[in-house]
Amino acid sequence: MSSPNGKLTARESNALDMRYVFLALTGALFVGIIVYPLYHVLAKSFVSGSGLSLANYVKVFSNPTNFKALWNSIWMSATTSVIAMVAGTSLALFVIRTDIPCKNLLRIMLLMPYAIPPFIGAIAWTQLFGPAGYISKAYINLFGSYDVPWNIYSTGGIVLVMAMYQFPVVFITVSGALGRLDPSFEEASRMSGANAFKTMRDVTIPLVMPSIMAGTLLAFVGAISNFGIPALLGFRARFYVLTTRIYSALAIPDMPLATAMAVLLAITAGAALFVQIKFEKGQSRYTVISGKSVRPQTISLGKWRMPIFFMVVAVSLFASIVPMASMLLTSVLKYWGAPIKLSNLTLKHFSYVFNLEMARRALKNSFILAVLAATVTMALGAVVSYMSVKAKMKAAVVLDIVGTFPYAVPCTVIAIAMILAWSKPPIMLYGTLWIMLAAYLVRYMPFSIRTTRATLQQIHSSLEEAARMSGAGWLQTMRHIVVPLIKPGLIAGWILVFMPAFRELTMSVLLWSQGNETIGVVIYNMQDAGNTQIAAAISSIVLLLILVGNVIVRKVSKGQVGL
Amino acid sequence: MGIGIEVVGLFKYFGSVAAVNDISFSVKEQEFYSLLGPSGCGKTTTLRCIAGLEQPSKGSIKIGDRVMSSASEGICIPPEKRGIGMVFQNYAVWPHMNVEQNISYPLRITKVPSEKVRDRVNEVMDMLKLTGLGKRFPSELSGGQQQRVALGRALSIKPAIMLLDEPLSNLDAKLREQMRFELKDLQRNTGIAILYVTHDQVEAMAMSDRVAIMKDGVIIQEGKPLDIYKNPKEKFVADFIGTTNFIECDVIGSSASSTDIRLESGSTFTVPEATDIRGRCTLALRPEDIELSAEGTDGFEAEVEVGIFLGNVIDYRIKIGNSKLRVQSTVATMFRPGDKVRAKVGRVVLFN
Ligand SMILES: Nc1ncnc2c1ncn2[C@@H]1O[C@H](COP(=O)(O)OP(=O)(O)OP(=O)(O)O)[C@@H](O)[C@H]1O
Ligand SMILES: [Mg+2]
Repeated sequence: MSSPNGKLTARESNALDMRYVFLALTGALFVGIIVYPLYHVLAKSFVSGSGLSLANYVKVFSNPTNFKALWNSIWMSATTSVIAMVAGTSLALFVIRTDIPCKNLLRIMLLMPYAIPPFIGAIAWTQLFGPAGYISKAYINLFGSYDVPWNIYSTGGIVLVMAMYQFPVVFITVSGALGRLDPSFEEASRMSGANAFKTMRDVTIPLVMPSIMAGTLLAFVGAISNFGIPALLGFRARFYVLTTRIYSALAIPDMPLATAMAVLLAITAGAALFVQIKFEKGQSRYTVISGKSVRPQTISLGKWRMPIFFMVVAVSLFASIVPMASMLLTSVLKYWGAPIKLSNLTLKHFSYVFNLEMARRALKNSFILAVLAATVTMALGAVVSYMSVKAKMKAAVVLDIVGTFPYAVPCTVIAIAMILAWSKPPIMLYGTLWIMLAAYLVRYMPFSIRTTRATLQQIHSSLEEAARMSGAGWLQTMRHIVVPLIKPGLIAGWILVFMPAFRELTMSVLLWSQGNETIGVVIYNMQDAGNTQIAAAISSIVLLLILVGNVIVRKVSKGQVGL
Repeated sequence: MGIGIEVVGLFKYFGSVAAVNDISFSVKEQEFYSLLGPSGCGKTTTLRCIAGLEQPSKGSIKIGDRVMSSASEGICIPPEKRGIGMVFQNYAVWPHMNVEQNISYPLRITKVPSEKVRDRVNEVMDMLKLTGLGKRFPSELSGGQQQRVALGRALSIKPAIMLLDEPLSNLDAKLREQMRFELKDLQRNTGIAILYVTHDQVEAMAMSDRVAIMKDGVIIQEGKPLDIYKNPKEKFVADFIGTTNFIECDVIGSSASSTDIRLESGSTFTVPEATDIRGRCTLALRPEDIELSAEGTDGFEAEVEVGIFLGNVIDYRIKIGNSKLRVQSTVATMFRPGDKVRAKVGRVVLFN
């Protein structure tokens, strides 16, 4: 508080000092771990041989394979996002706005792919639809044919599996917008003489169009940044995208080429996100909440109710239960391809995994990395958010922006940045576990800033002011008031960083080294080497942990957040 | 034209709560009818049942001679087939359409030829003083203008019936007063029946041909505004409509045309009103029905506590024993605090 004559009291100026010290330290750290490495990628991509040049980019555009990868990335992601848009939007409309049964259950099931790591999903889909897959074999038995009319290891397979893991993004944004839409907009349309269908066409869909577009662009970014699916399904089909080409370029190693492709990847994803933010702003102008809790009548589907219900159920099952069940089944079968009966079930793959030195090491590494990444990012995120939301400090707003920026940078690009920045003196992290920690910190900083910001915004500042008026200093106020109030939010946020970090693949696969494997890397390598069942056993363990984590998050946040 | 609404035995339950609990009323053709009551009494729910946005639990709703909802016969005509215009409390003007598109939507959806649409839209915009704003989007309009667009949208298909749910509550006081007159004019010029919902008694009194006072899902009293004002059937109505003083008193005698009353302070007086109530009762007195004078023998003795000059009237607070009364007097002489006065009582209503 200021004293009456406007001068700061001693305690106030101390508190101010403390805050600036915190801010300055965080700022320095952000520059070191985020700005410096990312700047390296951009700079390196324009350097070749002796000086500045565009040679690396020329190499991308002149080499047909590289250029094709850029083109493949773009159209594969575009096709994926269009499918995700149609599927996500119609599912949201069906589940939120019509009278199909079991809506809540369907909603949860449709959100599940969001929690399943896409590469684990891709493995499950090969188990289902691959040459010896469960569904392929069922098809052959059923129709007595020798072959199946599909091939999961193909462009189409990649697009479909990718769409399966991207449509929940559209589903979430659109159903959120539908929930916030003032029901009287639709009722006014009914009163104007439009029936349920015309109301949907003329009022509902146009009003949530910005959200549909925003969700679709997020799906695009998700698809173009994904490594696991095109790697596990595309290498065999000789279908390359930027992320898999960068992986190959690093194996050669051709660092300058990888860097140039990384910049192209970052630009494409960044442009999409830029437009996405525009759409998001557009939506917020459209959604006005009247404060009345009247929900609009759900649209009666009439004779279509059951057919549509079964269709939604089928999609939900394939989005959630089916891949998990397939993973579990594969992990307990005596051998891959064994007939499914009780006598063919075994736990030997699990005991093999638990005795495998590499797997145990990977579990331990991933656990350490995820704990550290979650703890450090949440602590830094809390400081930055507090300073910008509560203390309303200008400098903190800058940090907020810097810390959130990596959200727009694909994981592959972050990994390249880490290699460029940390594999030369004075700091040599390449070849150790810590380079992955550095990457995770950059990657998950935006998430922690976002969750802590949301949590802090819910606390009215008068609560803190009351503590200050009661004589508590800044640190005491933090300890006694702020921290206890935001604790549930912090715990939920911590788990929301821990879980994706624990099963991270895209960055780890570029950064790991012998002895420093992560769980994602081991699953990927096992599957790649044809050890389907070992990969399935480890994946099952990971899925179980994700499930448990999700239950905890929902408990802690009272159902407000989940993966 | 010339269609009314008839609601018979309407019930609406939300879970086990009865938001509307056996309501019957009818709106005659070309009538301005208001549902008036405190928050949560079921006005909106009644209106939404008539609109078809809510399905009644029991009862029937007829518009003209068409049955729109009948729980017993299992009829519930969808809202778009009822031919009703409706104005929502928050306007619900579509933000993705401009003024013209909003107003013309009901016409376009019923496939009216486009020249006719244009003519009608221009006509409605003229009537509502929206000329020149046709290409603007709702975000570029003031609250009052948005509300006119909502009205225009409801009027464009020339509905025989309009439902309005607190359409003025989001406007500032001045605009609200102006819109009151405009709505009334509009109804006179178009000859449609209007069912109006509000919790603002001044609004209801000023515009309505008839008013229904609602409480807890039932209609307590229905009638012309002045009749309700003069003869409230219950203490609740007297309190809700206008300002009323309530005093505990005893009836000590009565004749065919007057009643003798004793106040708690001991003073007795006679009011020119017959009653069959005996003993303890509540006396309801409108502030303007009390006349103050410096001397005389009518009414009862009281002491002026404070008087505020309001321009057209003087607003006094007077004291009799322990009770305080509000009095609005037009008399030119102003009493001062502490003055002893005689309060002569005009109309009163007695409640058990
Ligand atoms: N969809 C609903 N679900 C459950 N209860 C409801 C619903 N709509 C209304 N109610 C309840 O029914 C009662 C009547 O509500 P209604 O909206 O009709 O009141 P109102 O008279 O319009 O009040 P206000 O003047 O505040 O608008 C309230 O107690 C309300 O809580
Ligand atoms: Mg209401």
